[in-house]
Amino acid sequence: MDENNKTKELRGLYKHIKISVSALNKIIIGLCALLIIVLVMAVSNRGFTVTFDSTGGTAAAPQKLMYGDLIEEFDPPTREGYTFAGWYLDENLTIPWDMNNDTVTSSMTLYAEWSENNPSAE
Amino acid sequence: MSNQPEKAKAESFKSLSTKDKERKIADLLLNNAMYIIILLAIIYIAIQRPAFLGLSSIVNVISLTAAKLPIALGIGGCIVLTGTDISAGRVVGLSACISASLLTTVFKVFPNMTSAPPIIAVLLLVMVVGAAIGFVNGFSVAEFKLHPFIVTLSTQLITYGIILMYLMHGTNNGQTLSGLTQSYRDFVTKTLFTVGGVAIPRYVLYAIILTIFMWIVWNKTTFGKNMFAVGSNEEAANVSGVNVSKTIIMVFMLAGIMYAITGFFDGARIASANANTGLNYECDAIAACVIGGVSFVGGIGRISGIVIGVLLLQIIFAGLNFLSVDANMLYIIKGLIILIACAIDMRKYLVRK
Repeated sequence: MDENNKTKELRGLYKHIKISVSALNKIIIGLCALLIIVLVMAVSNRGFTVTFDSTGGTAAAPQKLMYGDLIEEFDPPTREGYTFAGWYLDENLTIPWDMNNDTVTSSMTLYAEWSENNPSAE
Repeated sequence: MSNQPEKAKAESFKSLSTKDKERKIADLLLNNAMYIIILLAIIYIAIQRPAFLGLSSIVNVISLTAAKLPIALGIGGCIVLTGTDISAGRVVGLSACISASLLTTVFKVFPNMTSAPPIIAVLLLVMVVGAAIGFVNGFSVAEFKLHPFIVTLSTQLITYGIILMYLMHGTNNGQTLSGLTQSYRDFVTKTLFTVGGVAIPRYVLYAIILTIFMWIVWNKTTFGKNMFAVGSNEEAANVSGVNVSKTIIMVFMLAGIMYAITGFFDGARIASANANTGLNYECDAIAACVIGGVSFVGGIGRISGIVIGVLLLQIIFAGLNFLSVDANMLYIIKGLIILIACAIDMRKYLVRK
């Protein structure tokens, strides 16, 4: 007699789904618990990873930073025959990253720009 | 006078037996489970980072909501028809790329051009392109009875191919389009007014206008009534004299125009466009609609629900970003939110029946 356990027909995108209200209740509670667990995990593992693509130079270690942080200063990478000219937000080196003023708002990769030391010598 | 119904509700609640009361409360909790979790998350974020409730953060959330609203308003119609549209994000991308390639100062895609065409002409052009893709979607769904998932999956791929080829045209070589004209950027992002020193961009106003427009279309026109009729029961609508095919095609075309407008705004908002512009926008839009009570059962949905859905999603994601939660994690959270919203949507329908 329990009305909740009766299977009813659904329409639309749910047309082929046959499910009872009590089963749905369990699914909703289970999914909500999962969402809360994921949210707690996400918050406890928080931090954006900033990686550095030195595009041919020596590798730079990635940094884990919080929203609004400045990137910690470190020695710029080196590359034989080139001088380090700065970090950029995009591979095409069009958007420069200002280490002293720009703050981190998401995970990202910075790309290094290099200027050749003696272009005329080659 | 105004609290009379409230009182009556309370009276009828009191007269229920304890078991019924428990069931009522359980119903209420389950049907609003998602809102409760989101509310708790927002409270937690606000305690951890009080700046989240600051003016600049609130304005940021409103601006992001305005930017994502038109696409959700478009997709909402497709969901009312018990369908969906997964080509939306790519149509946004194509529209952004067309806008950014024409309203620019560097003309890499069309090297022969020397001056940018009028803004309105470009806006109309992308709207026509969006409507054309919407027509293909709608026509295939209406005439060939194909499932919207399959049709829009194919148009999504085709549109992506077109975007990639378009970006290879001229001397552009597939690169990001930038160097937009100032007038285009001003048209979309110029400050409307400032609240306490925080600028509100123009596209917020445009989003409000589009919302009002869509509200009128959904609630006050024959087309809107037909859309709900077809969504809730296609055969019954057909019997009562509704032109089902025409309604479906028009819903998809209107949706296509909305995506195109989103893309037009996005080009100027982000100040560039590339092959990834608009990627996964449809996921956010569909999630927003389902959270906002646009049901996959069909024929059920309200514009106000869509607005609330988009707003809630933007609040939670802006908040998690404030807490420095990585974007990778946000995808998992988004997926779970969609699943929960669907389960609650089904439950509401089953209980009502």
